[in-house]
Amino acid sequence: MEEKDFKCLRCGAVNKFPYEKGVMMERQCPKCGSNSIRLVKEKQEEKK
Amino acid sequence: MMDVGRHPNIKLLTYSTVEKITGYVGNFQVQVKKKAKYVNETECTACGDCTEVCPVFVPDEFQQGLSSRRAIYIPFPQAVPSSFLIDMENCLGTNPIACGKCADKCDKKCIDYDARDEILEFKVGTVIVATGMDVFDPTVLDEYGYTKYENVITSMEYERLLSAGGPSDGHFIRPTDRKRPKTVGFIQCVGSRCEKLGKPYCSNICCMNTIKDTLLLKDHYPDIEAKVFYIDIRAFGKGFEDLYKRSKEAGVQYIRGIPGEIIEDPSTHNLKVMVEDTTANKMEEYEFDMMVLSVGVTPRFDMPEVQQLLTLSKTPDGFFMEAHPKLKPVDAPTTGVYFAGCAEAPKDVKDSVTQASAAAARAETLLSAGKVKLEAITSSVNTDLCRFCGMCSKVCPYNAFTVDPKKKTIRYVEALCKGCGTCGAECRFGAITMNHFTDEQIITQIDTHLAEKAQEKVIVFACNWCSYAGADTCGGARLQYPPNQRLIRTMCSGRVHEKFVLHAFKKGAPMVVVSGCHYVDCHYIDANRWTQKRVEKLWDKLEKWDIRPERLLLEWISAAEGKRFAKTMQDIEELRKKVTKEEIEHTVKVLTEEEEKEKAKKEKQKKK
Repeated sequence: MEEKDFKCLRCGAVNKFPYEKGVMMERQCPKCGSNSIRLVKEKQEEKK
Repeated sequence: MMDVGRHPNIKLLTYSTVEKITGYVGNFQVQVKKKAKYVNETECTACGDCTEVCPVFVPDEFQQGLSSRRAIYIPFPQAVPSSFLIDMENCLGTNPIACGKCADKCDKKCIDYDARDEILEFKVGTVIVATGMDVFDPTVLDEYGYTKYENVITSMEYERLLSAGGPSDGHFIRPTDRKRPKTVGFIQCVGSRCEKLGKPYCSNICCMNTIKDTLLLKDHYPDIEAKVFYIDIRAFGKGFEDLYKRSKEAGVQYIRGIPGEIIEDPSTHNLKVMVEDTTANKMEEYEFDMMVLSVGVTPRFDMPEVQQLLTLSKTPDGFFMEAHPKLKPVDAPTTGVYFAGCAEAPKDVKDSVTQASAAAARAETLLSAGKVKLEAITSSVNTDLCRFCGMCSKVCPYNAFTVDPKKKTIRYVEALCKGCGTCGAECRFGAITMNHFTDEQIITQIDTHLAEKAQEKVIVFACNWCSYAGADTCGGARLQYPPNQRLIRTMCSGRVHEKFVLHAFKKGAPMVVVSGCHYVDCHYIDANRWTQKRVEKLWDKLEKWDIRPERLLLEWISAAEGKRFAKTMQDIEELRKKVTKEEIEHTVKVLTEEEEKEKAKKEKQKKK
């Protein structure tokens, strides 16, 4: 499965997680343990 | 099995597959395909004359391929009904008849080459899923040379070799030279407790199976030397420790360590292993005549089909998930469906019989009552508001809705509803009301919590089964979490409508948390996947409106994770402190504007 960058909305850490379009999976931030893991989209990066 | 076959109230359908199950508790319609056996099973006396003349030889599945069977055969000696069947995939052909020897030989004229598969339909009140398990296939493990070395066998093959009805008539011989081995090694946990193979669970039965195997071996051949390589022996259960002791007393040596590799000596076909004995803390080398791989248990290959038939959910190890691990261990999440045996988790015969008895009793309790009591927290549909988009049928984990957008019809079976409320959260037209957790009730709770000092509060939506119970565990354990967090209970996180979150922000909440069960614990099969989808969409929306998505958090907290609940809430409180007054004012302004825009849009649509 492809891996993509995800950002933890609680601690801000960016980690790679498996990703497949349309497939839901539980992700947990290895740093703070939060499940608020958001896919880093290209648009978001450009904005920064 | 004989008793089952003879019982007047039990209809036994062997060599059949369940094709379709529709309906709900008390009203299941089951469609079964009874495959053609090409032998009249009521007339067949299992004399065996037909099989003797059959010219086709194929590997015998029951004997693990160690011997052969004919194309007309009995699958295994204890099969009920005890009648032959023709394996049409291997038969020389019946159209036109290429051989026909079995039909010529059968005096009772039981062979019927024109037999066809039958589709049978039944109405049943409850369903018990007892579909069993498969064993791990060790061909993927190159290190043990199962595909290269004939003298490396699995515990299933060993079982057949030692059986009086087995391919060698109970004479224990090694495959390469047909001689009795002098030394036999057993390797435990092959395909169990292995993260690498995706089998992290303990298969439950292998330790005791090996102990029994070694006792049988020592009983038949006391001179054979047996060694067992293990991670740890799990001999829990009545009488099991005693068996383990007896095995050791019989001379079986137990070595704590798993060999990394098996290497064959090509001249003798003996097998060499290197192992670190962790009790002696040294590397040792052993040579065996035969090695037995104690293979683990895996979910059956056709589990996805059964899962789909009955809308069941699975645990991460691939077995079926029960409604509750402690309080409803034999119930499926779908009412009226029960589990027995290894379909639910690996277990031995005793546990399977116990569970099967429990499942039968649960089914009988339901059937004898004749009525099913439903929880009051089901959904109700207002067909006047419904636009027949079909979203409810898409999200309902129990298939309670059937929507036909073309005919503009909606069928809702309340008996199937478990009350997760996901339908209500996804319905864009407000046509679904979740009883006792209505939109108005939840909005009122938000308003009340944020009526005073809203900027100091955190709204936490917590699911009844996990997060809310996790908060209880946290409190019960006297763990501290900030008192400004306001919990709003819903049956499932799937109930948390987008508008609840936005309303909380509009009312000045600095942070909103949506929390529910971990994926594997979801009490409504997969309803919390919809929660995640919704929250992910909301993050995008908030960002579009220039509201920090970090102010909306998604947290999976189980009932046992009181400590995690406290830690999460403490972290969130730190984040809340960073939310500025200006940010909240901006959010309120933007959301009020958006709401007005939405209202205007609706008005325009109404006028049209």
